[in-house]
Amino acid sequence: MTSYDEPSIYNLLAVEETKEQKPKKYTSKFRQNVKQEYASGRDPNKTMGPAKVAVPPPTDFLKKHEKEPQLPTKETFKYPDEERRRPAVPSKDDTPLMGLKTTKNFICTNAVENITAVPKLPGKKYADTRHGDTHDLVPSGYEPVYVHKKEFGEVPTYLTKRKEEIKRAQEEYDQYIAEHFRRGALRQLTEEERAAILDGLKTNWEDIHDQYQGLSVVPDTAPKKNRKERMEAQMKQLERDIELFQKHKIIYIGN
Amino acid sequence: MAGEDDVIDTKELELERIIGFNGKVPSGLLVHPDREHIVYPLGCNIIIEDITKEAKQCILSKHTNNVTCIAVSNDGRYLVSGQETHMGFKASIILWDYASKEAIQKWDLHKVKVEALAFSKNGKYVISLGGQDDGSVVVWDMTTKEPICGSPAQVESAGITSCLATSNVTDEEFVTGGETTLRVWTIDKENRKIRPSNTNLGGLKRVITCIEMVDDQDAKMPYFFCGTTTGDILCINKNTNILQFEVPSKNKFSLGVTALSFVKMTSKGFNILVGTGAGTVGNFDISVCFENGNKVKAVFKHRSDAQPWKHEEETSAITSIAKRGAGHQFFVGTAHSQVYKFQFADFTAELVKTCHSCPVNDVIFPFGLSQLMLTCQQGEIRVWNLTTGRELRRFVLANKICNALAISRDGKTIVTGWNDGKMRVFGFGPKDMSLELKHVIMDAHNKGVTAVALNTSGDTIISGGGEGMVRVWDLVFGTDLKGKKEIRAELRHSMKEHKNFVSEIVIRSNDKECASAGGDGTTIVWDLTKGIRKNVVFANTLFKSVCYGEEELQIITCGTDHKIGYWETFDGSMVRELEGAKAGAISFMDITTDKSYFVTGGEEKLLKLWLYREGEVTHVGRGHSASILRIRIAPDNRSIVSVSEDGAILQWKCPNSLMG
Repeated sequence: MTSYDEPSIYNLLAVEETKEQKPKKYTSKFRQNVKQEYASGRDPNKTMGPAKVAVPPPTDFLKKHEKEPQLPTKETFKYPDEERRRPAVPSKDDTPLMGLKTTKNFICTNAVENITAVPKLPGKKYADTRHGDTHDLVPSGYEPVYVHKKEFGEVPTYLTKRKEEIKRAQEEYDQYIAEHFRRGALRQLTEEERAAILDGLKTNWEDIHDQYQGLSVVPDTAPKKNRKERMEAQMKQLERDIELFQKHKIIYIGN
Repeated sequence: MAGEDDVIDTKELELERIIGFNGKVPSGLLVHPDREHIVYPLGCNIIIEDITKEAKQCILSKHTNNVTCIAVSNDGRYLVSGQETHMGFKASIILWDYASKEAIQKWDLHKVKVEALAFSKNGKYVISLGGQDDGSVVVWDMTTKEPICGSPAQVESAGITSCLATSNVTDEEFVTGGETTLRVWTIDKENRKIRPSNTNLGGLKRVITCIEMVDDQDAKMPYFFCGTTTGDILCINKNTNILQFEVPSKNKFSLGVTALSFVKMTSKGFNILVGTGAGTVGNFDISVCFENGNKVKAVFKHRSDAQPWKHEEETSAITSIAKRGAGHQFFVGTAHSQVYKFQFADFTAELVKTCHSCPVNDVIFPFGLSQLMLTCQQGEIRVWNLTTGRELRRFVLANKICNALAISRDGKTIVTGWNDGKMRVFGFGPKDMSLELKHVIMDAHNKGVTAVALNTSGDTIISGGGEGMVRVWDLVFGTDLKGKKEIRAELRHSMKEHKNFVSEIVIRSNDKECASAGGDGTTIVWDLTKGIRKNVVFANTLFKSVCYGEEELQIITCGTDHKIGYWETFDGSMVRELEGAKAGAISFMDITTDKSYFVTGGEEKLLKLWLYREGEVTHVGRGHSASILRIRIAPDNRSIVSVSEDGAILQWKCPNSLMG
């Protein structure tokens, strides 16, 4: 619903249709006075000296420091975080709570601990200038670290693992082929057969290539264009086949 | 039902106030020579209003159609008025006695329309000018109250004569002007003749709209001034019939000179007031000097201490300038029915009267408040203070017609229906309380919105359209992305039952039911929760209005068949039928909140107050000059407001029985 601050027609009832009356232009009531004075006594100060002012009474004499500036009273400085600070360390005179007191002799125990302690070994250092500027030796790389490693000079384990994996895969594959041979499902292509196929493919390619070379230079009609494209596709296919046969020496044929 | 012989005698309703002025009548606004009253036409009435005391009005109503011209005699004893009428009939001129406000004489001589009227200098004659279909000038003798003679107003080659002025020197001379015609007439009473003499305009062709006589000012200069549609003022010597000069020669007044009034003779020459069709009022000095060889030279200058006055926004023609006395103050009437009071000394204007200039389509009261009301007309919505009769706020939207109004009970939203098919939702501006357009419901109805109603909580609109649809809308009050308040409307139901326009919708006070009156001879009671028809009432009429009657279990309807019907809402059966009017349709009815009285009004131009239970007329209000369009009883039952086609708003005092 509408809110209450919104005006409604009932507000119009209270609106008094008053005509906007401009206030009269302001004119000072001293205007006439000023005019007269200005016209009659022009600049009286110039000839009559400074204005006559009443002298202060004798009771109102000048007092000590009266003309000095009145400064505000000084305030003590306080740190702004004074309340938030931790309490100070207790002084030596402060009595501990409930009269608690330790019996430990700190001086004695500290001395004994230090005397019995094993001295710390000095770290390895090297000096690089003749003035004797020393640095830590270990992180510098001068110290032979890797030579003294336990597995130094051995074949890394990941390589042996990889080798084993390859070997196992080959074995599995051989086993699989052997299995198929045994079942008579596979047949290996002999070297003569492979060469014959390769030759055949090559002659085919040459034939098409010859025809292709004999085509007109500009394939201006649609059939010509189609023919050219078809021949290109065939040649590409033959090239791919030749490559396949050349790449692999051993070729199996699944029956 | 009571028999014909024992009908309780009907009383007259007392008229409290009329808000209306027909600004379209040229020189229709007059100031009576007693300087205390202004006289103006309103429809077929003439209203005499006190200038000093607010709202002291006197109505002269004898005319049968719109008043087209008025004149007052120089001594102020008589008033004469002319009217128009239907084609083929005689238009009457009525002579009134000002003191008694009674009609003395009725003259029927002119055909169709009386164009202009004037009294001669000492009131010996009345001169009347007929309209386009009549085209004659008639001189009437005031002693015998008989016509002396008549004559065609113009030569056959000329156009229509439209204005008239009498000499300020003698009774026997007058001037008529119109389209390319300008004649000076002399009356020869012994021989019962009037003799015209055409003026010589040289090569000029002008349509004269107004004439101002200044022949009594200077014996050497028996001139009269004529305002023209071209936008200049012609000055003619009455004695020689020769055009002296025309001013201004350059920068002529746009939309023509429509009103002229001579104020006084100054050292600078003739001082005249000029009203133009563009709505400017200027006070010009025309100084005349004679050069050798009888040449006349004129200088036309506005007074130096003021600028011509014009309303900032409106452009409506100045139709009349009426001086009060010698002219220290003058009244200006515009075609848009506004009256301004000017002070001559500083040339400042004050709006004294605003009225509707076209039919008032709707009037409503805010809930429970009788001091304010809202009205709408073509392109305007106004808020009035009824106690003072002053207009408070106005919203203007040109070229659209506002058909219906509704205001929510909290008074914050006003829903209006317009003829362009849109509903516009208004609110009030936070600062100056001006009417502010908050939301437009586009394409609410495709043949214009003819009726709107709001429920009690003010968040549901029911609208009816010219095509017969009744639609229910939910008003959603929300905020937009920027956090500004906005109103949205969502269509809930669209109910198609009426075959013709919906003339009125009323909602039952429990918000669950509404009734709509349609122009297809049905009044339908709707279920608002389900959005379906509950019941329908049939009659062989165009229903104009509907009201909920006793305990809201009955509805009463009125329409073009002159009948008032009482119907049961439960089953739509007729309870009673009354003869509501002798002639003409009943256009509207309204019922008091306690359902004991209702009022009707219509083309009969009469306002009738009925007892609901008895079905009898107790009071009749006479005063409307055109058919009544809407009536509302004020929420406090103290007054009734009715509006009519001529733009008048009439406020009636309720009889005491109703107030109790």
